[in-house]
Amino acid sequence: MNDDDVLRQIQPIFREVFDDDSLIITGATCAEDIEDWDSLAQINLVVGIEKKLNLKFSLAELQGLESVGDMVQLIISKVDP
Amino acid sequence: MNDYRINGIREGLAAEFRVTVSRMMMDLFLQISGDNNPMHLDREFAREHGFEDRLVYGMLSSSFYSRLVGVHLPGKYSILHSIEVSFNKPVYMGDQLLVSGVVTHVNEAYRQIEIKAMITNQSGDKVSKAKIKVGIHG
Repeated sequence: MNDDDVLRQIQPIFREVFDDDSLIITGATCAEDIEDWDSLAQINLVVGIEKKLNLKFSLAELQGLESVGDMVQLIISKVDP
Repeated sequence: MNDYRINGIREGLAAEFRVTVSRMMMDLFLQISGDNNPMHLDREFAREHGFEDRLVYGMLSSSFYSRLVGVHLPGKYSILHSIEVSFNKPVYMGDQLLVSGVVTHVNEAYRQIEIKAMITNQSGDKVSKAKIKVGIHG
């Protein structure tokens, strides 16, 4: 699984959480780029990703994330350890 | 009042309670909300538009989801994050409602649970459904 594969899988989750079918995320996307990306959206994103990819993240893993790219790398590390 | 903490909650944990919708509840809701739509106040108006009686406010019946979360599941340490509600069938004064919910997802990292809830009436009809996301603090 590469970065683009992961982005393709998680983009629908971002679109649903932010209710924006035109939203396009990249590895550089971060919370400052999306107006409604608050703590509640963060929870909804993580839970949505966990459900879709059948993964579990610890709080320590999540606290180190600063961008979508960081999340992508974290996902890859858990899917292809 | 229950006081579940995040580590005490598993998928499948459920709770329920019964409540009868009264005229006083309708009067109080009118005072709070200011919603004086005749569908809720005027029996004849409601009957002219196809309903048996004055309609109980959807948000009044939804308020029982607040009790479900705040008192029963998880109870004391709950913080309501979001709720999606549908109103499937009309509710009338005097209806005896069963409000129930079951935990469908637990996220330990962010201390949030998801609850699938519903309200049924005395005939067993599902009058409302809800998906509730609740944070657990403390």
